[in-house]
Amino acid sequence: MDIIQVSNLKKSFGNQEVLRDVSFSVKKNEVVAVIGPSGSGKSTMLRSLVNLEQVNGGSIRVQDDYLVKDGVYAGNQEIKQITSRMGMVFQHFNLFPHLTVKENLEIAPRVVKGEASSDIQRKSAELLEKVGLSDKADAYPAKLSGGQKQRVAIARALMMNPQILLFDEPTSALDPELTGEVLQVIKQLAQEHMTMMVVTHEMGFAREVANQIMFMDKGEFVESGTPEQLFTNAKFERTKSFLHRALK
Amino acid sequence: MSVDYILSITKPMLEGAQMTVLLFIIAILLSIPLGFLITLMAKSNNKALSWFAHTYVYVMRGTPLLLQLLFICFGLPLLPVVGEYLVMDRFVAACVGFVLNYAAYFAEIFRGGLLSIDKGQYEAAQVLGFSKWQTTNKIILPQMFRVALPAVANESITLVKDTALLYAVAVPELLHFAQTAVNRDFTIVPFFIAGIIYLLMTLLLTLFFKWLEKRFKFE
Repeated sequence: MDIIQVSNLKKSFGNQEVLRDVSFSVKKNEVVAVIGPSGSGKSTMLRSLVNLEQVNGGSIRVQDDYLVKDGVYAGNQEIKQITSRMGMVFQHFNLFPHLTVKENLEIAPRVVKGEASSDIQRKSAELLEKVGLSDKADAYPAKLSGGQKQRVAIARALMMNPQILLFDEPTSALDPELTGEVLQVIKQLAQEHMTMMVVTHEMGFAREVANQIMFMDKGEFVESGTPEQLFTNAKFERTKSFLHRALK
Repeated sequence: MSVDYILSITKPMLEGAQMTVLLFIIAILLSIPLGFLITLMAKSNNKALSWFAHTYVYVMRGTPLLLQLLFICFGLPLLPVVGEYLVMDRFVAACVGFVLNYAAYFAEIFRGGLLSIDKGQYEAAQVLGFSKWQTTNKIILPQMFRVALPAVANESITLVKDTALLYAVAVPELLHFAQTAVNRDFTIVPFFIAGIIYLLMTLLLTLFFKWLEKRFKFE
């Protein structure tokens, strides 16, 4: 079953086309890595899925509902309902600096969903343990390393029980020695069959964890395939030359 | 110079200082929310509201507070037709002037605070499903107040000293009693005492804001 189906997505900033006719789908329990050079439209594509960018044409279907159909958006209430099924992890974490780690996790379920306090606390404790940060529950984000912040951000997104988790270059803002701990958490989620879409420059990680790798270039979806197919047997010259450069 | 003399002139000054403190409290309590409202108007998509807020800030910051006080106390009653309904108690009129004036400064301080908040905060809140109102209330405001705190502290201290302008509209306050004593007794001492009372008030404020800043350090 498809969690997300995207067809003919188009988006321009002024004269510049950043997405040209992008189509793809993500199945339940699948991990999709999106790779491609800087400025290829990967992030814009990902951000369109949660309505942080508005597209100029095409369709985005999440499960059975259209966020946008042939360039026409659903109503506000529907948009909210549809995007609530997706979680997002940002390159720069975007934790709330005025809240402790625990409060960062608990604020959305409390304010947005109005869940019971005891349930929320049980869940936040569980998730903090999962990302290995139980001892930081009462710390403010300012006191955390980049890797720790990103693990908190992942836990915060998981608090809302998303059907799919989107990652926008989750390790690009981290010091190299801190990327491992974040990738490890994503890997663990993959083993638990969380559906995920990860925009990344970490080729090794993409190859190891993804079921499907999507290559984008100049706003176009060029090709996709299993890591094996793409890394050893890409169909297009630009995929090959990108991978060649990226793996060097 | 006897202790008795000092006590005898300090007493009316402290009574005058009550006026100062009262004005300070009223002005702070009303001008901060009003200032925030003006910030929201300035940022509103509604052109008329935004224009009004910017013009308001321009006029209030661009003219002397003393002129505004005189205008409200002595100018408004001279207006034809409506003037007679605009005669206010001097102290009330002064409060209105201070609130309107300081709201403009606070509006600018809060606008600066809002500008300092990263757009990633809005995006994270949106993706987590917060409504606009929830985002403002739970995410943006607390951060804005934290950023604005040092500037708010500064403005509050200015306000303590600006209360001396009550003198100009003949509301008896701290400085008024000091000046009276100086004229009557030909001594500079009352000015020193007035200075010390102002310093004590600003010291209290400074300590209070230091404490607030520490309390909301988020570390």
